[in-house]
Amino acid sequence: MIEITLEVNGVKKTLSVEPRRLLADVLRHEFGMSGVHIGCAHGACGCCTVHLDGTPRLSCLTFAVQCDNSSISTVESLGGTTADHPLQKAFRSEHGLQCGYCTPGFLMTLVPFVDEMVIQKRIPEDEEIREAMSGNICRCTGYHGIVSAVRKAVTDGLKSGAA
Amino acid sequence: MNAERPKFIGARVQRFEDIRLLSGTARYIADIDLPNMLHLTFVRAETAHANIVDIDSSGLADLGFPTWVFTGKDTAGLSMKAHQDYPEMQYSEQPLLAEGKVRFVGEPVAVVLAEDAYKAEDAAEHLLVDYDLLPVVGNMEQARDPSIPPLFDGWSSNVIVQRGMKGGDIEAAKAAAAHVFKRTYKTQRQAGVPMEGRGVVAYYNPADRVLTVWSSTQMPHLVRTYISEELGLPESRIRVVAPDVGGGFGVKGQVFGDEILIGWLAMKTGRPVRWIEDRREHLIASIHARDHQHTLEAYVSADGRLLGLKADITVDNGAYSTYPFTSAGEPGMVGKVLPGPYDFRAYEATFRAVATNKCPIGTYRGVARPSAVFSQERLMDDIAKELGLDPFEFRLKNIIRQFPYKNVLGFTYDEGSYAQALEKMQVLLADDVAEAEASRTSSTKRIGVGIACFIEQTAHGTPDFTRRRVPIETGYIAARVDMAPDGEVTIDLGLQNHGQGLETTMAQVAADALGIRPENVYVRHGDTMTTPYSVGTWGSRGGPLGGGAVHVAATKIADKLRAIAAHLLQTKPDQIELVDGRAVQRDNPGSYVEIKKLARIAQRNVEQLPEGMGTGLEAHASVDGAPDGCYSNAVHAAVVEIDVPTGKIKLRRFVVVEDCGTILNPLVVDGQVRGGVVQGIGSAMLEHFIYDAECQPLTTSFADYLMPLAPEIPNIEVHHIETPTPLTPLGAKGLGEGGAIGPAAAIANAVSNALGVAVTSTPLNMNSVWKLSQHLRETA
Repeated sequence: MIEITLEVNGVKKTLSVEPRRLLADVLRHEFGMSGVHIGCAHGACGCCTVHLDGTPRLSCLTFAVQCDNSSISTVESLGGTTADHPLQKAFRSEHGLQCGYCTPGFLMTLVPFVDEMVIQKRIPEDEEIREAMSGNICRCTGYHGIVSAVRKAVTDGLKSGAA
Repeated sequence: MNAERPKFIGARVQRFEDIRLLSGTARYIADIDLPNMLHLTFVRAETAHANIVDIDSSGLADLGFPTWVFTGKDTAGLSMKAHQDYPEMQYSEQPLLAEGKVRFVGEPVAVVLAEDAYKAEDAAEHLLVDYDLLPVVGNMEQARDPSIPPLFDGWSSNVIVQRGMKGGDIEAAKAAAAHVFKRTYKTQRQAGVPMEGRGVVAYYNPADRVLTVWSSTQMPHLVRTYISEELGLPESRIRVVAPDVGGGFGVKGQVFGDEILIGWLAMKTGRPVRWIEDRREHLIASIHARDHQHTLEAYVSADGRLLGLKADITVDNGAYSTYPFTSAGEPGMVGKVLPGPYDFRAYEATFRAVATNKCPIGTYRGVARPSAVFSQERLMDDIAKELGLDPFEFRLKNIIRQFPYKNVLGFTYDEGSYAQALEKMQVLLADDVAEAEASRTSSTKRIGVGIACFIEQTAHGTPDFTRRRVPIETGYIAARVDMAPDGEVTIDLGLQNHGQGLETTMAQVAADALGIRPENVYVRHGDTMTTPYSVGTWGSRGGPLGGGAVHVAATKIADKLRAIAAHLLQTKPDQIELVDGRAVQRDNPGSYVEIKKLARIAQRNVEQLPEGMGTGLEAHASVDGAPDGCYSNAVHAAVVEIDVPTGKIKLRRFVVVEDCGTILNPLVVDGQVRGGVVQGIGSAMLEHFIYDAECQPLTTSFADYLMPLAPEIPNIEVHHIETPTPLTPLGAKGLGEGGAIGPAAAIANAVSNALGVAVTSTPLNMNSVWKLSQHLRETA
């Protein structure tokens, strides 16, 4: 067992974990973040994506002990229980989700992309949006609604930035 | 009901369920956590066909933590029985844990339980199974070879079932034909693969003697019935709950042995037991789909009219029959649907399912129809090409135009827009067709356009199942609607929502019937304790039958509200309109009562009710499908670009013209169509579950089993024609599966068109397209 300290969605906790425990399992079971979903556990589907010190990371391919003294955020940190982050709102209005299982992973992958586009002050081409989500698999939507949601979130972000 | 003025039906209402799905507060099966819970790991067959010589669990004693082991000896006699009442069908049973023999890689042999999921996996590795290998039945040809022994004692061969169906005079059609076309088409083995795998949690509470089983299922009531029958418990003491379900696609539309087994284990151990499937287990052992071969023979007149069709259909079923659709379901469906949208009067089909040492075949979005339509529509293009006819013209020459139409097998098609859909698509594709033509001279880049025209029988009624003598037996969906004293409405629905948007669309339906807003309707589903018995969500029945049941039940409450309002306003109930939260006198808008007040009167201030009227605002309704269901129709079109030197294929454009009758919510309908199409694109171009000659699975992770990713998929264009059906209460037909039915055919036709070859099988990946374009490289 190894003692590590993680800050998850702003809450710091020191705990003892086996070296083999996946970050995904520790987030789900020790921190109660059930929004972290495991889709394949071999790093191919992107469902389990979280932010490790601000960068998207597959929590099923990361051991919790690798993250000692890191700050982690999960989907729960975005817009709270009312899901009012602009990208969450856009997912809803553009029907970017159906069963919702892959959705937290898509959100955590795409939030930094949307932020970056707003900083760059440009609306990305569809190909670029699709490339940005190429590490995530959605089996329900056919991606169409997710592409629209990203476009809308960037557009809204640019509007509110200009206002 | 404001049938003449729907306010919410047809509106683009944003989904209510999205909030919990987006925020991470949804509860899926892996989120069900109970105190004192045991975690289960399956020990699964590593070889496809073998006798079990010995199971040695002695190594578990030294692990230093408690474990529980169960094998087929413990569960002897408990099994999955999926018998179709066909006299010639050879029955098999799959024991919950293998008894003496394994018949496919992944078949459960034993379970190991421990107090931690990691430890349960550790322990499972110490369980040693000794096998005595047997030769495998590896494919359709071997399964039909009489010299290879059957997989089950008492069987005469590995043909599980072979039956025929026919209509009209096929010999006369053949004699009258100017042209005879015979072709063989194949569609590969695939899997439905929801992003959430399956999982089961069970807990037996001795205090109330209730066994609760949580399962990621599309059909909780059927799971309850099967558990009851197999374990001998009363259904009243079994509660099956489908929590949030992370995609189903038909995969979770069967009853699985593990759902029974884990319930049994919870009772046996006296502790809650949880099993969460991992991805490898899901791919090798949950359920597979397709794996068809069809040989079709078409008889065509000199002027290009279809006179008759003869079909020989084989499905590689894998090792066992699945419940409740059985081994006969998949090939039988092909036989039933091959007549399709075309008008011809002679048909004969022979269909069979054969047993091999592979994972069993079950339902997956479209159920047999993606394969049937692939063969049918490839054949239509092959014929058109040989006759020198344009694919649209040839189809329009043979398309059904008069409704209702009784097809060659006696099935009645309700009103549709088959010809209009083709004509609309013809206009939409004009530029692509021209561009494809222009690319014909290129030896490096070819453009191809392909279409698939099809119908889909949806919302099948009970007679459709009783005719097939299949254990599903029935097709109705029930709903219970209740308006509380504060005017808020609860729907308890016999469907289960796993992405379809039912919590929103059903609220829209109730809101229109009751003159309130969808926000004031709470839709509950998936829990057998609270919802009325129904068959679950599959077979494209949610909108037409679930929506129908909600409408009928809500209308009963609306009628009572009108009666109370009429009494208070001293008018007649037919003079009352329920709109915007008020019961308004039709010719006197100033005269109204708040619906909330009526709800309170019905349940609190009951002294104000009309004399003799009972209290309460609760209604139940059950809606069954029409005997032959109702038929949605669609035309799909694909435009592909092929790089001849490499075989690289790019899907440039995918267009859908579809007709599912009344649209309840366009946001949801478009989402269902697009999602289905992309799964169909996966079927057409990528997804292939591969076994080697020893029936070892080779595609056991997402690195090998390839599904569509965003960059290779274009935006899917969807166009609607709305022909409401008279056969369901709201005019809606089913639409959940249609998207997945057409793409394999449309893309194969596009590739055939681009390369000038006749495609006969899927998947059309870079490798197969490279082979198909060999002739172009040779001539270059």
